Amino acid sequence: MPPRIASSRQVGRVPGVSRRDFLHGAAGFGGGLMLGIYLPIAKAVGQENAPAAPAKVAPPRAPAAFLHIAPDDTITLVSPSVEMGQGGHTALPMILMEELDGDWHRVKVEDAPAAAVFNNPLFGVQVTAGSFSVRGWYAELRRTGAAAREMLIATAAKQWGVPAAECSAANSVIAHASSGRTCTYGSVAAAAAALPVPAEPKLKSGKFALIGTSPLRVDVADKVDGSARYGIDVKLPGMLYGAVKTCPTLGGKLKSFDDTKARAAPGFHTTVALPDGVIVVARSYWQAKKALALVTVEYDLGALAGVDSAAVSKRLHDGFNEKGIVARDDGNVDAAFANVASIGPAPASSGSSFVADANAAGAPTLEAVYEVPYLAHACMEPMNCTVSTDGVTAEVWCGTQSPQVVQRAAAQVLGLASDKITVNTLYLGGGFGRRGEADFVAQAAAAAKAAGKPVKLVWTREEDIQHDFYRPAAAIKFRAALDGERRLKALECNIVTASKPTFAFPGPPFYTEGVYNLSYAIPNLRVTGVDKNIGVRFGFWRSVNESHNPFMLEGFMDEIAHSLGQDPYQFRRSMLLHPDAARLLGVLDTVAEKSGWGRAKPGHALGIAAFEAFGSYIGSVVEVSVKDQAVTVHKVVTAIDCGVAIHPDNIRAQLEGGMVYGLAAVLRGEITLENGAVQQSNFTDYPMLTMAEMPRTESYIVPSTAPPGGIGEPGTGPIAPALANAIYAATGTRVRSLPLSKHGFTYSVARA
Amino acid sequence: MMKLTINGKTHEVEAEGDTPVLWVIRDEVGLTGTKFGCGIGACGACTVLLEGAPTRSCVLPLSAVAGKSITTIEGLSIDKSHPVQKAWIAESVPQCGYCQSGMILTAAALLKRKPHPTDADIDTAMTNICRCGTYDRARKAIHRAAGG
Repeated sequence: MPPRIASSRQVGRVPGVSRRDFLHGAAGFGGGLMLGIYLPIAKAVGQENAPAAPAKVAPPRAPAAFLHIAPDDTITLVSPSVEMGQGGHTALPMILMEELDGDWHRVKVEDAPAAAVFNNPLFGVQVTAGSFSVRGWYAELRRTGAAAREMLIATAAKQWGVPAAECSAANSVIAHASSGRTCTYGSVAAAAAALPVPAEPKLKSGKFALIGTSPLRVDVADKVDGSARYGIDVKLPGMLYGAVKTCPTLGGKLKSFDDTKARAAPGFHTTVALPDGVIVVARSYWQAKKALALVTVEYDLGALAGVDSAAVSKRLHDGFNEKGIVARDDGNVDAAFANVASIGPAPASSGSSFVADANAAGAPTLEAVYEVPYLAHACMEPMNCTVSTDGVTAEVWCGTQSPQVVQRAAAQVLGLASDKITVNTLYLGGGFGRRGEADFVAQAAAAAKAAGKPVKLVWTREEDIQHDFYRPAAAIKFRAALDGERRLKALECNIVTASKPTFAFPGPPFYTEGVYNLSYAIPNLRVTGVDKNIGVRFGFWRSVNESHNPFMLEGFMDEIAHSLGQDPYQFRRSMLLHPDAARLLGVLDTVAEKSGWGRAKPGHALGIAAFEAFGSYIGSVVEVSVKDQAVTVHKVVTAIDCGVAIHPDNIRAQLEGGMVYGLAAVLRGEITLENGAVQQSNFTDYPMLTMAEMPRTESYIVPSTAPPGGIGEPGTGPIAPALANAIYAATGTRVRSLPLSKHGFTYSVARA
Repeated sequence: MMKLTINGKTHEVEAEGDTPVLWVIRDEVGLTGTKFGCGIGACGACTVLLEGAPTRSCVLPLSAVAGKSITTIEGLSIDKSHPVQKAWIAESVPQCGYCQSGMILTAAALLKRKPHPTDADIDTAMTNICRCGTYDRARKAIHRAAGG
């Protein structure tokens, strides 16, 4: 999630605790030691893997997240990362506890309130997205843990009258070996709070005890007996329930409604007019839903009325005729295409081959157009939010990736200042980028305001599928030229997007990510972007641009390799031999080796893809066999270099899960429009992957000492190109658009 | 007023007869481990055991369960000690966790019916949808709970 609204860096409010309390009194935690996280040393997005700046640590200032050590030895992290299954509630305290040498079994995690001090140091906003949690907080959490450790040891040493240097700490116990004295962190925490916070605490030099192990994730046990609390589980005294229906045509507005019949329905309480639809509030959710069905509504359909998916596609293709914004321009692409070496006819190869280009007589060039559709997130927990307000203040409960976005959305609807809104974050039943938005929060706030009582608003699955913030439809036109050595001499990539964020990111056009930053050494490379935004709401869908751009780029790379008669792995490898690509090369080699590249069983074929994503390097090889158009996936081998691996088992879980999210989309995922309305509505016509369709997977973590990269996002991207490339290897049919179902392919898995 | 037996305890609830049992369990009885996912019986997040059989409670009207016994995730054990729950923890299956109550109940029912299920048995029985992609671990957990 990007900065949707520019935030002033004010110290945020935490209910019932003043800033002074944070620093000295540990109010609300019953005494003990409370520390703020150190002043972040900001690094630009994309530079997070750059070497650390010389150790010049700014003194601590307003706390940006909190470590609290209680007298009973409970250690609490107020987590700036929410938990949506990605493991943030485990990875962040692990980093903290590593340097603290705290007892892992006494750790507690609480979700942070909405406050600017919890803004991610790398991203600049308080958001759990973009695989930024560990990347953004790694350095700060280590320094915080190390500082607390020094303070605790110094306090114990002083009490014992021994030099601090003679004391050691492990598992929350401080020991002085020669005298045999020991004490727990909790016993000296209150006294330690009086010490100044060391400006430059000594960090461990890479030999970790906790980082790199896989303790049970802190949220797992509560997720096997129904006790984990999600936004949808909130219940308040006197609470009513809301059901919502908005204009099926995207962007349409409410013109009028008639709720006469609904008013007579059992349990009816209030009808709430929204800008784009209607909410009915009733005593129970079922009553609200039934009464809502009795409301007749008229809409102004707006600008998207009449738009269908064919129009979206045409718009994308029209974009190829426009001059794009240049995202990257290496060498001289125009000259390279004008002066392509004469190398004779391209080698015989099925499928694509280099062809004579009219503008460069006899010169071998290759062109292809790739395209992907809109996609919906389909979190398992439908959007929901509970709001309670007395007109002066308000409280909001929901699963959210962006507490401050929630706060502002509620404040705006309720006509209150943001600091009058308390945001309570619960577990998220899936986020994937959807819960970075707060449209459902604004609706719930409107309902609570109109009803004069607390309201829990729950979307139907149909509302969820039909009113998402969609992964953009997009297309890329590629053009490639060779030099006399049969190497890729020039590559041109024209990227067109049908939606984009409503705010600007610095740097090249956002939607060119995953292409403009490609790692291959190509002497002449131009990447351009064209914005053909059609007004369908843009969404950050798991892996964002890397969910689809690598499908297109790595597909075209495969085409080039086959056209040259080269092995697709070796072709990629030959362009990754420069020092900047060492980590990606390591990943590529790993998946090739582990998948038995070059030694496919008779009747089987392999497809490969690898790229950089979210500060990590990832690649996959997919093994298939194809009979007619029946694709059987035998194995998916994935490797990641994500720098220091905090919790290897969770990293593997994220690779598996990311792949599943991507595979469902590759196989059948498509949101289509008719008359500006989404044609899919539920899991029946927007089908997900099932247990029976889960392929065999192998996931590998390439050892690395680099600063951590992302793990939640990257795993979604590789399956599309690797599978499409495998299908080509098996059949000679090049898949240049998704989903596969559109091309008549069926799918199954083999388990042995 | 209608009597409903959930996890061995009788509850008197007041709701229209067409109200899906899902909402009665969650909002009237207050057991929120049973989840709403799709409302059409397609995803299995709302799975409960009706007389021991996995049943999608979002399309199960209250009027259909009079006198019948329902088990929700809260009733599987009082201390996470059911073999499926233990296996689920051992394999670290849940991610976001939202679909897991339904998965675990479906797995428990499968194991009761077939103490040593094959992969094919698991594929047939486990039709619950998980967006986080916990399928591989769920399969391993089922085999683990079966003792094999």
